[in-house]
Amino acid sequence: MLKIHFFQVTVSVVFLSSIYFHLAKRNIRISMVYGLQSAGVVALLFYSYLQKGSPLILVVVLATLAVKVIIAPTFFIRLINRHKFKFAVDPHVKMALGLAIIGLISGLVTLHIFSPLTTIIPANQTYLTLALASMLISVFLIANHKDALSQIVGILSLENSIVVFAIFAGLDQSSILDLGILFDIFVWLFVAIAFISMMYRHIGSIDVTRMKRLKD
Amino acid sequence: MALLIIIFSLVAATIICLVSKNVRSMVLASTAAFGISAASASLIADKVARHGDYAPFRFVQINSLTAIVLLLIMIVGFFSAIYAYPYLAEEANKKIIGRTRTKQLFILLNVFMLLLVMAVTASYPILSWVFLESTTLAGAFLISFYNKPSTIEAAWKYLIINSVGLLLAFFGTLLFITNLPGSVSNGFVTWSILGSFAPHFNTVITKVAFIFILIGYGTKVGLAPMHTWKPDAYSKAPAPIGAVFSGALMPVALVIILKFRVITDVAVGTSFSQHLLIAFGLLSVIVAALSFITVVNYKRMLGYSSIEQAGLITLGFGFGGIGRYAAILQIIYHSLIKSSLFFTSGNFLLKFHSSKIKVVRGALSALPISAGLFLVGLLAVAGLPPFGIFISEIMTISSGLKHYIAYALVAMVFIVIAFIGLFKQASSLTLGEKPKDIKAGEGSRWLLFPPLAILGLALVLGFYMPPFLHTLIRQAVVSQ
Repeated sequence: MLKIHFFQVTVSVVFLSSIYFHLAKRNIRISMVYGLQSAGVVALLFYSYLQKGSPLILVVVLATLAVKVIIAPTFFIRLINRHKFKFAVDPHVKMALGLAIIGLISGLVTLHIFSPLTTIIPANQTYLTLALASMLISVFLIANHKDALSQIVGILSLENSIVVFAIFAGLDQSSILDLGILFDIFVWLFVAIAFISMMYRHIGSIDVTRMKRLKD
Repeated sequence: MALLIIIFSLVAATIICLVSKNVRSMVLASTAAFGISAASASLIADKVARHGDYAPFRFVQINSLTAIVLLLIMIVGFFSAIYAYPYLAEEANKKIIGRTRTKQLFILLNVFMLLLVMAVTASYPILSWVFLESTTLAGAFLISFYNKPSTIEAAWKYLIINSVGLLLAFFGTLLFITNLPGSVSNGFVTWSILGSFAPHFNTVITKVAFIFILIGYGTKVGLAPMHTWKPDAYSKAPAPIGAVFSGALMPVALVIILKFRVITDVAVGTSFSQHLLIAFGLLSVIVAALSFITVVNYKRMLGYSSIEQAGLITLGFGFGGIGRYAAILQIIYHSLIKSSLFFTSGNFLLKFHSSKIKVVRGALSALPISAGLFLVGLLAVAGLPPFGIFISEIMTISSGLKHYIAYALVAMVFIVIAFIGLFKQASSLTLGEKPKDIKAGEGSRWLLFPPLAILGLALVLGFYMPPFLHTLIRQAVVSQ
C-alpha cells in the first residue's frame, strides 16, 4: 500500500510539474519546480536501487541528485538573478487555450490508441499514462514558450518523463536507461546552460522570438 | 586494427590541436589524421566487401552500408580539413575571425568526425544514440563558430530541435528494448540481439517505436517536417562545416534509421516502414522543391538541396527493389557533390562578402573556376547527366512506378520543379556582369583543390565504380 502511495505521489509530482511549467510566470519558480520534478525521478530511481541493489543505479541516483536537483536549478536561479530576467516571456498561445491543449493531451493519452504503450506493464497503466501525458505536455512547452529557459526546462522535463515511463515499463534495470540518463546529465545540460549565457550576451535577451536574423 | 587506427589518429590529431600553439602543425596533424583514416576506411571497406560484416571488438559492428558511410565520412573529412585552413586564413586576413579560432575549429571538427565514426560503427543502439547526440553538442559550437547573434540563433535552433528529436529517438530505442525478455533487456543490447528477437516483438509497440525513431533520427537527417534547423545551420556554419554536416552527418543518421528499419521489418512486415519512408521522403522533396523558387541565400539553398536529397534517398529505400540500390548510390554521390558545393560557396562568400543571391552576380567572371565548379555541382545535384545522381533518380522513380505510381509521379513533378528552381538560382548567381567593386580572380589554389578533387571523384564514380564498392552496394541492398 505504501509502495502504491509512493508511486502515486512521485508520478503526480512529475506530471503536475510539467503542467506547472506552462502556468508559471516567474522563471525562478520554474527552476525550483524543475528541481522538485527531478527529485521525484531521483526518488523513483532510488526505490529501484533499493529493490535491485544495482551499483550503476546508485551512481545514476547520486548523479541525478547532484546535477538535476541541486546544481542545475541553482545555476538557473543564479543566471536569472545575474541577468535580472524576472518574468517569463509570454507563450505563443494564451493561457486559457494552453490549458485546453494540456487537457486535450491528457485526455488523448487515455484513449485506446495509446493503450499498447500504456499497458506495456498492465499493472502500471496509470503511471505509464501519466508519464506519457507528461512527455507530450513537455513537448508542447518547448513549442509554446518563447523564452530559452522554458525551452531548456521543457527538454529536461521531457527527459524526466521518459525516464519515469521507462521505469514503469520495466526498464529500470536496463543499463541503456542508466547510460542515457548519465549522458544527458553530464553533457547536454552543461552545453544548454552555456548556450543560454551566450545567447544573452549576444542577443541581450532569452526571448527566442527576438531571433529574427535567420529569415534570409 | 584499421578502425583503431582511425580512432587513434583522430584522437591524436585532437590532442595535438589542443596542446600545440602552431596553427600549421594543427592543420597538418588533422589533415594527416583524416588521410590515414580515409586509407584505413578503404581497407575496412575492402575487408567487408570480401568477408562480410566486420566486428573486431565487442563494441563495433561494420556491415556493408556502414563501411560505405565510414569511407564517405573520412573522404569528406579529409577534404574539409584541407579546405578549412586556407578558408580560415582568408577570413582571418579579412578580420572576420581571429587567428586563434582555427585551433577551435580543428578541435571541434576532429571531435565531430570521431563521434560520427563511433556512432555509425557502434554495435549497440544506445551507443549510436549517445555518440550522435554528442555530435549535436559539438555541432552547436561549430554552427555558432562566428559568435554573432545570427549564428547563435542558428545554433540554438539546431540544439533545441535536434535535442527534442534525439530524446524522441531515445524513447523509440527504449520502446524497442521493452520488447525483449527482462534478462536480455537488463544488459547492453546489441543490434544483433534486437534482430534475433525481432520475430517475437509486439507488433504495435514496434510500430510506435519505429515512428519515434524515424521522427527522432529523421530530425538529424533533416527530413520534413523536422527540417527547419537545416537551412539556418547550413547557412551560418563555416563552409567546410556545411560540407561535413551535409556529406557526413546526414548519412550516419540515415544508417541508424535503416538499422532500426531492418528490425521493424522482421517484426511487422515491410509495408509499414515502406509507407512511412515514402511519406517522409516525398514531403521532404516537395518542401525543398518549393523552397528553391523563393530562396534568396545560396547557402540556405544548399541546405534545402540537402533536404531534397535526403527525401529522394528515403524515397528510394521506401520504394524498395532497385530503389534501394539507387538510394545507396545517391548517398555516395550526394555526399561528394554537396561537399564540393559547400567549398565553392565558401569561395563565393570570401569574394562577395555576402551569401545573398542578389548580391552575387556574374560569379563566372569574378571567380571563373569556383563558379564553374559551383555550376557543374549544382546541375549535378539537380540530376543532370552525366552525373550519377541522374541515374540514381531515374532508378528511384522507375522503382516507384512499379508499385507506387501516384507517389512516383508526384516525386517526378517535384524533382522537375526542383531542377527548374536550382537552374534559375544557378544562372542568377553565375551569369551576368559582376559588380564593379569586385575584382576578378581566384584566391589560394588550396581553396580550389578540394572542391575540384571531390567533384572529380563524384564524376568518376558516375562512370566507374571500383569492384569493392560495387560489391558493398550490392551487399547493402540485400541486407536492407
